[in-house]
Amino acid sequence: MRSQAAKFVAAARRALADPPLQDAVKRATDTAARKRDLAMFAHGRDHGEALRQQAAAARRRALSRLPELLEQAEAHLTANGATVLWAADAAEVCAHVLDIAARHHVRRVTKSKSMVSEEVGLNDALAEAGIEVLETDLGEYIIQLAGEPPSHIVTPVIHKSKEAIRDLFVQRLGMPPTDDAPTMARFARGHLRAAFLSSDMGISGGNFIIAETGTLCLVTNEGNGRMVTALPRVHVALVGIEKVVATLEEYVLLTQVLPRSATGQAMAVYTHMINGPRRAGEPDGPEALYVVLVDNGRSAIYGTSYAEVLGCIRCGACINACPIYEATGGHAYGWVYPGPIGAVLTPLLTDLKDASALPHASSLCGKCKEVCPVDIDLPRMLLDLRYDLVEAGHMPWLWDAGMRAWSTATRSPRLFHSAARAAQIGQGLLPQGRKVPLGPLGGWSASRELPRFARQSFRAWWAARNQEEDRHDQS
Amino acid sequence: MTSRETILARLRAARRPFADTPPPGDYLPVAPVDDERPAALVEHFAARAEALNCTVYRCTDERAALAAILDVIGADRQVLCWDFAHIPLPGLGAALARAGVAVAPPSDPSVRVGITGADAALAATGSLVIASGPGKPRQVSLLPLVHVAVVRADQIVPHLEAWLATVRARGLDAFQAASSTVIISGPSRTADIAMELILGMHGPGELHIVVLEDTSA
Ligand code: SF4
Repeated sequence: MRSQAAKFVAAARRALADPPLQDAVKRATDTAARKRDLAMFAHGRDHGEALRQQAAAARRRALSRLPELLEQAEAHLTANGATVLWAADAAEVCAHVLDIAARHHVRRVTKSKSMVSEEVGLNDALAEAGIEVLETDLGEYIIQLAGEPPSHIVTPVIHKSKEAIRDLFVQRLGMPPTDDAPTMARFARGHLRAAFLSSDMGISGGNFIIAETGTLCLVTNEGNGRMVTALPRVHVALVGIEKVVATLEEYVLLTQVLPRSATGQAMAVYTHMINGPRRAGEPDGPEALYVVLVDNGRSAIYGTSYAEVLGCIRCGACINACPIYEATGGHAYGWVYPGPIGAVLTPLLTDLKDASALPHASSLCGKCKEVCPVDIDLPRMLLDLRYDLVEAGHMPWLWDAGMRAWSTATRSPRLFHSAARAAQIGQGLLPQGRKVPLGPLGGWSASRELPRFARQSFRAWWAARNQEEDRHDQS
Repeated sequence: MTSRETILARLRAARRPFADTPPPGDYLPVAPVDDERPAALVEHFAARAEALNCTVYRCTDERAALAAILDVIGADRQVLCWDFAHIPLPGLGAALARAGVAVAPPSDPSVRVGITGADAALAATGSLVIASGPGKPRQVSLLPLVHVAVVRADQIVPHLEAWLATVRARGLDAFQAASSTVIISGPSRTADIAMELILGMHGPGELHIVVLEDTSA
C-alpha cells in the first residue's frame, strides 16, 4: 500500500469537519478502552500492571535474540512440514505468493486479516495476476467492497455506521434492505461461506511464531482464520520477522494479554496453534503450508533506538486511547497503521520526511504507553522522530504553531526534548488560561493526570496552524 | 546473497536491543483461579463458559448426556461427528442410530450440528482445547451452526498455564503431532457492524458443552 501520510494535514482537516465520523470513532474507542481496562485489571490493578511488565519482558527477550530465534523457528517449522520463505521487501512478498499460487494452480484466494498483506499491497498484486481474492474478516470484507483501506488494525470499519454498511450490502450484494445487524452478518456469512468452500488458497497473517516448536499462532473471533487455514488446499501465512517468541510459556502469556488489550476478551474465540500442514491420516487441513517471514523495513529498525517498536503485538489499545485518533479517525494517517503505533511505525517503515506530519499527530499525553500491554514507550519515540526531523533539516511543526520562542533550543537534543515537551504542555493549557509548572518533566507528569487536555492541545495547535496556513494562502 | 542471508546478517550486525533483559522467572498466571479443587473447577468452567454465551449441561450419568445431545439435534436427520472413540460418551453411536440420525461426511456444509470431544478444558476462561488428528476433523467444530462438545470433568484444568504444564509433561512431540490445536472460547462472533455483538459470524453461533461429572465412579 502506498503511503498517503504526506497528506495527513488535509486528511485530518476533512475528518475534523466530519462530526458523525468523530462520534462513531469516539463511541467505538471509548467502549474498547473501557473493556480493555476491565479485562486487564480483572484481578486487580497490581496484577494487571505485573502482567504488562511480564509481557514486556517476554517481547524484549525475544527481540534480544531475534536472529537466533528466527533460525530456530525456521528449523522447527520446516521439521513440522512447513515451507519457510524469506522476503526482504513488499515486492518479494508478492512474488513469493504469486509463485506459490502458480505452483499450486490457484485461481481463488480467501484471506483472513493480515496487516502485512496491507503493507505490501498483496491484493492488488494478486488481482493483477488474474487471481480472485476475497477478504473474509467481516470488517475487511466490508472495506474491500467499499474500496477503502482499513481505519483501525483490530476493528477496520470502525469509521462506518450500520446504515452505511447496509447501503453497501444492498448496492453491491443485492441484500434485501434491513437494519438488523445480525441479519446483515448472516447475509455476509452466506456469501463468504461459498467462497471458503471454493477457494484454492487461504492467506493469513500470524500473531506469533513459537521458536521452540515451530508453531504458527493466530487469534481470531469470527472463525474465518480457521476457515482459511482448514479448507483451502494451500495455506500461506505472512508474518513479520519480529513476531517470533522463544517458548510456549512466553506465547501462553502473550496470547492472553493480546485479546485483553485489544477487545477486553479474556481469550479470543479462536486461539489457534498450527504445527504444519495436514498430517498422514488427518481428514482435513491444507496439503501445503508456507510461512513467509517478512522484513519490509523491520531489520533496519532493529539496531536503532526505535527497536522497541518491534515488540508491538498489534492490539490496538494505544489507538483506542489516543485523543488524536479519536479526532481524526484512522484514514488520515495515510498508511496501514493508524494512531500512536502508526505515527511511529509509518515514518520508520516508509519514509520519515514523507510522513513528517505523523510524529506531530500526538499531544504526548502518555496514554498510549500507559495502556500498551508490552509497555512500549511511544511518546519517547514520537519525540525522537521529531528530533530526527530537525536533524534532517525539517522544520518542526511546533514552530508553525506559534511556538517560535522555543526554536533556539532545538539545536540541542536535550533542550529540544525539554522544549518540545514544555511547548506541548503550554499549547494545551494556555488557551484556557491555566497554569502548571513548566519545568519540563514536572509539567509532563502533571499533564498525564489530565488526559482531556490532550485533545485541547491538539485542537489549539490545529487552530493555530490553520490560521498560519490561511495567512499563507492569502499572501 | 539470498534475502534470508541479508536479513539475518543485518540483524546480527546490529547492536542487540534489550540485551540486559533478565531470563524469565516464575510466570504469574494471566487468569488465576482461586480454588483448584475438581468440583470448584467444574463450577468455574461452567460459569465462565455461560458468560461467553455457551450452554453448559452438567450431567452425572450417560443417559442425561445423551438426552441433552439428542435434544440439540432435534428433528435433524444428519450430524457431523468425530469418530466415536474420541468422544467420551460410549453410548453415543448407538443412541444416534436408534434416533435415526446419520453421521455425514465432515465436509458436508449443509449439516446444522457438529459433535466433538475435547482434549482439555480451561476453567478460568470457559475454553475448550481441541487438537486435530485422525478421526478428529477440524471442520466438525467449524462448519456447522451448532457445535456440541463433550468433555469429562477431569479434563478441566485451571487455566492455559496449567494446560501448558500438561503439554510439557507429555512431551512436545505429542503437541507437534497435531497439525492444528485450537482453543475455543465461546461461539464465533463479530462486532464489526457498529460494535454490536453478533454470534455465529463464520463458525458456530451456538456452543453446547456437555460436562460428564463422575460417570466412572
Ligand atoms: S504499541 Fe502497544 S498498545 Fe499499540 S498496538 Fe502495539 S502493543 Fe498494542
